[in-house]
Amino acid sequence: MIGRPGSTIWLLGHEIRLSWRGLIGGRRGRVRLIVLGVLGVAFAIAGVPIALALRGFSMPIDTLSVLAADVGCVVIFTLMVSQTLAGAADALYARGDLDLLFSSPLAPRKTLTVRFAALAGSAFTAFALLASPLMIPLAVFGHWRWLALYPVLGALALAASGTGLALAVGLFALIGPRRTRAVAQILAAIIGAAFFLTSQIRTIFGERAESLWTQVADAAGDPRLRLPPLAAWPLRAVTGDPLPLAAMLIVGVSLFVGVTAWLSRRFAADAASAQGADTGRRRVARGVAGAFTGGVFASTLIKEFRLLARDIALLAQVLLRVLYLLPVTFLLLRNATGHQSWALPGGAAAITFMAGQVASSLTWITVSAEEAPELLQCAPAASATVRNAKLLAGLTPLALLLAIPLGVIVVAAPLTGIAATAGATAAAISAGLINAWYPTPGKRSDFLRRRRSGSLLMGLALFFVSLLIAATTALVAVGLPWALIPAVLAGAALLALRRSPARIAEALAANT
Amino acid sequence: MYDALVVEDLTKVFAKPAVDHLNLTVRAGELYALLGPNGAGKTTTLRMVAGLLKPTSGSIRVFGVDALADPSAAKQMIAWAPDEPMLYDKLTPMEYLEFVSGLWGVDPNDGRARAESLLRLLGLWDQRDQRCEAFSRGMKQKAALAGALIHEPRMLILDEPLTGLDAAVSRQVKDLLQERVKGGATVILTTHILEVAERMADRIGIIQAGRLLAEGTLTELRERAGEREGTLEDVFLELTGEGEAAPT
Repeated sequence: MIGRPGSTIWLLGHEIRLSWRGLIGGRRGRVRLIVLGVLGVAFAIAGVPIALALRGFSMPIDTLSVLAADVGCVVIFTLMVSQTLAGAADALYARGDLDLLFSSPLAPRKTLTVRFAALAGSAFTAFALLASPLMIPLAVFGHWRWLALYPVLGALALAASGTGLALAVGLFALIGPRRTRAVAQILAAIIGAAFFLTSQIRTIFGERAESLWTQVADAAGDPRLRLPPLAAWPLRAVTGDPLPLAAMLIVGVSLFVGVTAWLSRRFAADAASAQGADTGRRRVARGVAGAFTGGVFASTLIKEFRLLARDIALLAQVLLRVLYLLPVTFLLLRNATGHQSWALPGGAAAITFMAGQVASSLTWITVSAEEAPELLQCAPAASATVRNAKLLAGLTPLALLLAIPLGVIVVAAPLTGIAATAGATAAAISAGLINAWYPTPGKRSDFLRRRRSGSLLMGLALFFVSLLIAATTALVAVGLPWALIPAVLAGAALLALRRSPARIAEALAANT
Repeated sequence: MYDALVVEDLTKVFAKPAVDHLNLTVRAGELYALLGPNGAGKTTTLRMVAGLLKPTSGSIRVFGVDALADPSAAKQMIAWAPDEPMLYDKLTPMEYLEFVSGLWGVDPNDGRARAESLLRLLGLWDQRDQRCEAFSRGMKQKAALAGALIHEPRMLILDEPLTGLDAAVSRQVKDLLQERVKGGATVILTTHILEVAERMADRIGIIQAGRLLAEGTLTELRERAGEREGTLEDVFLELTGEGEAAPT
């Protein structure tokens, strides 16, 4: 390890080592690294023709480029804030090794500065990895100055980390320790989806469906638009102009250092008072106490509903996925009521596909994320009964969410509405069944991580079955008999994937 | 009358045998302590009895029922309480007991009455509507124990039931177990606190490397070890040979 023990550099080295081992640790980690490497090389090769095409290209500093760079920076910064806010909220409660670090003679300020630098580092790494397959060929074929994108991303990540910390502390002061975690996670989910929803605002309410970039291009074409000179600095920084680049770095670093210096002591105090405060010491459960049902199915269903309703943080994470359903649903509703039949089949297919994806998340929570698996295993209850109750519990929230919009579509455009309802139901049930056949046991807190750790086969199966059912839905909505082909393929895929309860039990036992 | 548990030639092989042709009989209505050094196969044995692990070979009979051929009937008579409480943080103790009652098919009226009685007995009645996430380890352990007892099992299997409990809670749990034994239930427990086994157990089994090393009352074990006045700790160390490694 580099640096003197106890120094900031030494602590940072410790954080980097933990992150690196988290990424590549174990067999899955090595596989992940190989897959990332192969994908990176493949994308870099695909980036070569683009880099060659842009070899002699000089980036114009005009309104369109400036606006595009500004919007891009804001989008990236917002997504980074979403990530760092969630990380800061987690650090307040599920602190892991913070207890060890706080109990050491190291200054809490140093510990937290390093922890938030690590949050900035992970935000930076995600975007840097995304950009690299294009940036590296671009640098190799003449645009080496554009590598300035990396320090710009670093500056944005540091600023986002400082902002996330400030937001977390602000929320803590404003609404107290019990609500901060849930609100921060919901806020992070909404911030993460904000630009998507903003870009779809016309889809939802307007008459034209336009992407964010189309709107930017429209705005840039407006001759009345006069941008201040500073607006061009992000673009100039990205293209390697030293002064704007230095300015962005200074702003990012200053914001990070300033906020951590100002708020880290406060954050440490908040973290200490958060211990146990969000656990509902005096939280009295609502509902009928003593509602003994006497049946396996009913008691499992009630238990799952209670757990779902009480895990606000988890619901916030699912909410992010549900948010993406909104524009499609509104588009479908608008077209159904406006009888623009050309857009209906596509919308029905999209809603079917997304229903499958959301159902997959919810049923993973109810089926796989069981907190007391041994209790169920040692009970005399039939595993199929327990599983079915869990599936129903997972699918019910989605049904409630989609009931009204689908009902409206059925009234306005009956064929599309029925196709969308049947498609969404089939996709949701299929996703639930695949989750039940291939359970990947884990903790609820691992909800976000499970996509990285889940089986590739299951992920692909969920994706393709949802896609096939979505295609069936679209073709039925159009009234084409070809709908039978994807429907049969989806059915065949499900039959091939089906596992008996005995095989599921064997697979679970093998994982124990 | 059947014995509570008859294990014959029970074997479980992971990378190497964890339980190796084990034979064990626990009589109905006794408190049986299963002791052994770390990694001896105690928990693996009990997990197989509770239906959580499939044996590689051998047989398990619970009150005459073949637990491998008819696991559901065997599970109906058993309660399993591991060292880490099987609880749901977001449920209250009352809701947890409702759920467990449902799993074992307890009549709703009986379940409600038993839940109240158990929660009062274990001192959790005032916390019945608070979520378990705020509970201390002892409170969680007591809530889990209430869950194990709600269906009035004929055989209670407990893995390290007293680990991490303070003196008061530990006494409560011990009293409750002895009361159940007096009421006719069979209790099998593992523990590293040898004084507990010495004071509570009717019979003691010592296993090592997956095999039963010795079995009997404390007096019988003393005779076997040649430690007529020794404590269970002396007997245990003598029989397992662990004492030889300890500094004198």
